[in-house]
Amino acid sequence: MDTLRDLVNWRSLRWRIALLVAVACCAIALTVGVLVHRSTLDRSMNDGESKAVTQLSRALQDYERDGVAPDGLRMSSGAMPDELLRRLRDRQGPSGGYATWYDGDGPGDHPSMWAAQTYRGSPVAVQVDMTTDLLTRRALDRHMWKYSLVALAVVVPLSALAAELPNRRLRHVARTARRIAAGDLAARTAADRGGDEITEISATVDSMADSLLGRLRSEQRFTADVAHELRTPLMGLVTASGLLPEGEATDLVRDRVRVLRTLVEDLLEISRLDAGAERAELRPVPLAEAIGESLARTGLVTQLTTTGALSAETDPRRLDRIVANLVVNAHRHGRGPVEVEVAGTCVTVRDHGPGFPRELLAEGPQRFRTGASERGRGHGLGLTIALGQAQVIGASLAFADAPGGGAVVTLRLPKAG
Amino acid sequence: MSVPVAGGSTPAPVTILLVEDDEVIRRSVTMALERYGYRVTSAGDGLTGLELFREGRHDLLLLDVMLPGLDGIGLCRRIRETSTDPVLMMSARGDALDVVSGLEAGADDYVVKPVDTAVLVARIRSLLRRATFAPAASRTPAGMADGRGRPDEGGHPGGHAPLVFGDLTVDTEGLEVFVAGRPVALAPTELRLLLEFAANPGVVLDRQLLLRNVWDYGWDGDSRVVDLCVQRLRKKIGAERIQTVRGFGYKLRR
Repeated sequence: MDTLRDLVNWRSLRWRIALLVAVACCAIALTVGVLVHRSTLDRSMNDGESKAVTQLSRALQDYERDGVAPDGLRMSSGAMPDELLRRLRDRQGPSGGYATWYDGDGPGDHPSMWAAQTYRGSPVAVQVDMTTDLLTRRALDRHMWKYSLVALAVVVPLSALAAELPNRRLRHVARTARRIAAGDLAARTAADRGGDEITEISATVDSMADSLLGRLRSEQRFTADVAHELRTPLMGLVTASGLLPEGEATDLVRDRVRVLRTLVEDLLEISRLDAGAERAELRPVPLAEAIGESLARTGLVTQLTTTGALSAETDPRRLDRIVANLVVNAHRHGRGPVEVEVAGTCVTVRDHGPGFPRELLAEGPQRFRTGASERGRGHGLGLTIALGQAQVIGASLAFADAPGGGAVVTLRLPKAG
Repeated sequence: MSVPVAGGSTPAPVTILLVEDDEVIRRSVTMALERYGYRVTSAGDGLTGLELFREGRHDLLLLDVMLPGLDGIGLCRRIRETSTDPVLMMSARGDALDVVSGLEAGADDYVVKPVDTAVLVARIRSLLRRATFAPAASRTPAGMADGRGRPDEGGHPGGHAPLVFGDLTVDTEGLEVFVAGRPVALAPTELRLLLEFAANPGVVLDRQLLLRNVWDYGWDGDSRVVDLCVQRLRKKIGAERIQTVRGFGYKLRR
């Protein structure tokens, strides 16, 4: 399928090379053809002229000897073409030379060569038939055309085939680069053939993947270390605060511990997303049910409408994260009622608050920036996480202001199956 | 008397061995679990933990991954050499390496720190349920016969014919598993998983279903837990017995 698509792709390198070869071949064939045609024509004209002149002088000799004009010798200027007479007049000089004229538009397809001379004050001429000559030249032209086309028919497919080898190597490089881009950092082109440009680009792709992998590993290690360093004291805090006797002060402490914990987890999640360490576990998920359950888990009052909800190929845990973050964000920064609609594999979350701040619409969500103060306080990580998780599951997330006021976020998920 | 008896009139306290290097966590988790009625023994490093494990009997092991000396993964592996006691790992890093190596080493489940005491207790209870459900296998490998004298569960000798799948025999009553006639020691989670498969031979069971039925996860269980437990089970009962159905789950070959 891929090969077929590649074969009919006229912009592929193979066809470009074939086209280039074809153009070069045509140029060579044309140049050679024109040169050969010209020189053959020249020679044939020379031959024709000398033949006509010889015949004229022989005819005149015969005339002088016999006193009778032999066949073919024209003595009256009326029987001669005007052009020949004109040329003869132009030639008139002390030497009294010959004039020749090739009558290419002769009667029918029968061109002829004229030779004329002034004999005793009046023009005499002979006409030599040149049809054979013309036919020979035409046959030569036909042959040149034919063999040029045969040569093209052989050379173009051959060059397309010859382009296949570098093409295949380039495709391999492209495939590898695509795999790397898709997250398979272990992919390598492993090219060592030849010292050409393709080897060079292969080596470059490999070293790019190496450095990417190195950076990713060190970032992942850093994220994991940070996670350990932050979570260990937090775990002690969470467990110990759970042991405190109930009371107002305990509630305050527990609330702050909860906030701190959410903040740490959000930051760790963002840093994992940034490090590219996240891998989705995709499976078909019926959206109406999944979204409904997610909304129920948030514990917030949200209206859900479904119209023709389908199954999406997605990671249910990440989808839940996205939906929960969007809904919590809508409740916290917008105003109710918060409406969620599932249509096909598209999920929209809409609130009736003041809408998104302009910077968010222009640049997307930014960490620790909640924009306008009327949207309330918050650390601005929720939408950043939602956006990052959407990228991990191959979904798109669009932020907009709803026509009737309020903010609307549209999540488009890949269809299942 | 270390097997907790569900619904008994005088339940013996369930003992948990906690190995955790952070002192605050060790002390606070100990106190929190004691409030739930568990008896907790604790150690601050892997080697002490191993010593304590060898000295006494514990119903459940709660291990931190990063420990000085012998780390949690190494400790879990050492414990698994001689025991099928339930093991719950606590990871602060929560990355794939920690989680996967812990499960590969034989842990039944894992939690990521910080974990609420309520969640921790829920995981512990789920693990203990598996262990009491399968007391025969929860003890040492040599003690397969211990299961026969269970006072409260089943105990109808010969009431059911054991299920046979090729050279695998699963006695769903006596909770014993034999491969080619030889008894196999399965950790409680592995046994529960096998029973789940044996109850539905030839049926594809997806990871979510297994997470719910075996691990008691509501919806957000980590499917790697299933994958790695299936791997461990395969090592014990033969790799071909449980077939992977790509994109769906696993099924037991009849």
